[in-house]
Amino acid sequence: MFSQASHNSRTSVRGTSVGDVGVASRTAELISDLKADAAEMLKGLHRIQHEFGYIPGEAVAVLADRFKTSPAIVFGTVDFYSELRTTPPAEKVVEWCSGPACLFKNSSGIRRALQAQLGCEMNAASADGQFELRLVQCDGTCKLAPQLRYRGAYMGPMTAASAIEFARSLKPAPEPPIEEPESDGDGEVSTEAAPTTGEEPQSE
Amino acid sequence: MTTYAELRASAGESWRVIADPQRPLIKVGIATCSSVVGANETLAALNGAAADGNFDVMTVGCIGACYAEPTVEVHVRGQSPVLYGNVTVDRVSPLIDAVQQGTVTDFAIAVVGSEGRGDVPPLARLPFFAKQTRRLMAQCGETDPENIDHYIANGGYEGLDKALRMDKEAIIKELLDSGLWGRGGAAFPTGRKWDFLRTSDRHPKYIVCNADEGDPGAFVNRNLMESDPGLIVEGCIIAGFASDADRAYIYIRDEYPIPVDRVQKAVEQAYERGLAGRDILGSGFDFEVEVVRGAGSYVCGDETGLLSSLEDRRGMPKIKPPFPAQAGAFAQPSNINNVESYANAPMILRNGAAWWASVGTERNRGTKMFSLSGKIERVGIVEVPLGTPTREVIEILGGGIPDGKQLKAIQSGGPLSGVIPASEVDIPLEPEYYRERGTLMGGGGLVVMDEDDCVVDLCIYFEWFAEDESCGRCTTCFAGTRRAVEILKRIASGRGREADLELLKLLGTVAQNANCFHGQGAPTVVNSMFRWFEDELLEHVQRKRCPARRCAGLIRYEVVHQTDTLQAAEAICPTTAIVKDDAGQYRIDQQKCVKCDACREVSPYAITIVDEYAS
Repeated sequence: MFSQASHNSRTSVRGTSVGDVGVASRTAELISDLKADAAEMLKGLHRIQHEFGYIPGEAVAVLADRFKTSPAIVFGTVDFYSELRTTPPAEKVVEWCSGPACLFKNSSGIRRALQAQLGCEMNAASADGQFELRLVQCDGTCKLAPQLRYRGAYMGPMTAASAIEFARSLKPAPEPPIEEPESDGDGEVSTEAAPTTGEEPQSE
Repeated sequence: MTTYAELRASAGESWRVIADPQRPLIKVGIATCSSVVGANETLAALNGAAADGNFDVMTVGCIGACYAEPTVEVHVRGQSPVLYGNVTVDRVSPLIDAVQQGTVTDFAIAVVGSEGRGDVPPLARLPFFAKQTRRLMAQCGETDPENIDHYIANGGYEGLDKALRMDKEAIIKELLDSGLWGRGGAAFPTGRKWDFLRTSDRHPKYIVCNADEGDPGAFVNRNLMESDPGLIVEGCIIAGFASDADRAYIYIRDEYPIPVDRVQKAVEQAYERGLAGRDILGSGFDFEVEVVRGAGSYVCGDETGLLSSLEDRRGMPKIKPPFPAQAGAFAQPSNINNVESYANAPMILRNGAAWWASVGTERNRGTKMFSLSGKIERVGIVEVPLGTPTREVIEILGGGIPDGKQLKAIQSGGPLSGVIPASEVDIPLEPEYYRERGTLMGGGGLVVMDEDDCVVDLCIYFEWFAEDESCGRCTTCFAGTRRAVEILKRIASGRGREADLELLKLLGTVAQNANCFHGQGAPTVVNSMFRWFEDELLEHVQRKRCPARRCAGLIRYEVVHQTDTLQAAEAICPTTAIVKDDAGQYRIDQQKCVKCDACREVSPYAITIVDEYAS
């Protein structure tokens, strides 16, 4: 009973690309020691998500078999829990805390700024699939409110401005400009801020 | 067979080197709050220096002072320990110097003893600690939560050892005499609950610990699980023995990875010491304990939702009756209590009901843990006797509202509860006073709102939360909360109408027909708004004005002064809404503005918020 499940499924690396058969057989291996009606399905789901980064559709039938139930019940279970994913995460997932301490410190403004800057809605990926904004629940680290989390690092207290700067830092360096300085009409060269590069969040 | 006395003796050996260290001992608090502000880096730096530094380093749990994390406590033989705050990695070097020179640094916050030292006050003079009665939290931040010997050496499992020699009825009587009621919020007498399970004779019977602390803004269970997990494991085993059960499930929310780890370790170590499993302490009592990790669902904190989650399916609350004591987990008799309820049992058994009941009020005995967050100077976790005035906790322990702002309201008990306004904040922390004011004291979360916060905004958040987390069984819940969100968002966008007020009240009435408390409790915050902040709501509906200037649809940003900082505002704007016109004057393109506030943050003098529909 002490086969310790890892806790890292929420921050796991993205799914490895394996074929359907690979997913099914690997899933079967991962849950081979688990029993039905023993409060163990969640343990199995966590292991699968840790392995693949999400719960692949191919795993559902294998789970149903192991837990002596129907694929519909398994899928309904997966779908029910917000920490379980049915699609692979984007490359860069920015987590936005939805808690009340953050709310009272302008987390809504931060959310709107991030949606605009990253080009994605909450719990959805950007059009190029590179970014995802994800709503997470309060875990009581309210000293950092309003906070963002990125790849396991917590950032806060944020401002809308620092959130925008962080989002810009996630974007790759712009293509080298074509030699043709843009004019905005009154003779001035456009002063649009160049996005900075760098992967590391500016954790406080 | 190892007896408890033998366990205690050997645990005492390993604790002695901690309690009376040969050379300086530096305790580093590692828990959720501290690890997100750099405590692991502090620990690593101290460990790196310890090899040739003539001092030792150990990991402990969390004292609850989130505002001062990372915290470190230095023990030197023959002296009172000194507590240091905000010990990020850059402070490690001066800390080590001070330890080696036998001095204290300027970031020492208290002496853990009766006397201060120089400018450093004794712990009991710090407002955050002075008014606390730390029983559950007595060892939090003192012991290594991953070492059962530390728990045992400080009285752990003494309560179980006593219980195993008592009649089950006597244990339950002790619980009833103490007056302990369910700490999760329902306030039902714990002893009576255990007795329901005891009198059921259909085996297997289950003890279920609800550690799915899902209320946003509540994090008291988290602190206990990651700082002194033995209390919870022992409490479950005592409950198992008293109610003649076979197995415990400790269900911990997925958002709490450190508590999952530490409770799991506490269970494993209990097995190793013969405190769980077969023939516990030679008593003949067999009892299994298992940790289950949730996967992110608020309704799994409802007792029957949690049961469904254990049963390999959607965590949907069940219809009662049958009650859990008749047919709970896997349709077998079960008892479900909150973390803090179980954690009190070892202390009641160890020290007796009379001792336990010696604090609190006539109606409400004992202590309760509360977490403080929001607009408060000192974010943290405290333990106070029930009946302590709410104001005292907010203003003295929590240090009041930052930036000279005024208290507006306190949100207690999570999203299915409401608020109490500043005018009522003198009420004691007892469930009755909160219930009389149309809200709940709840499981321990106290979130403070100041004058800049909007009650309509809070209602939108809570109704959205209730909708998002609704299991989908009852129309009055999943559809009722959705309607509430629509109506409130309409009001916040400036299209509110008089009829919306009646509709919101109606939703509050029909929600009572939901099966579980999730649906029934969902309108509480809206009802609370009608009761305490109706003027503010009417201002939104009738004058299309948000007094706190939070509701995005009722405000707009305007450039009021042309200054140099507007260039920075232009650069930060995520939607290029700040534009320069032909005359070189900046203005805000209202079609593009998302009202994130970034421009005003960088250019506060030039940009201001005005009412969209100023009348």
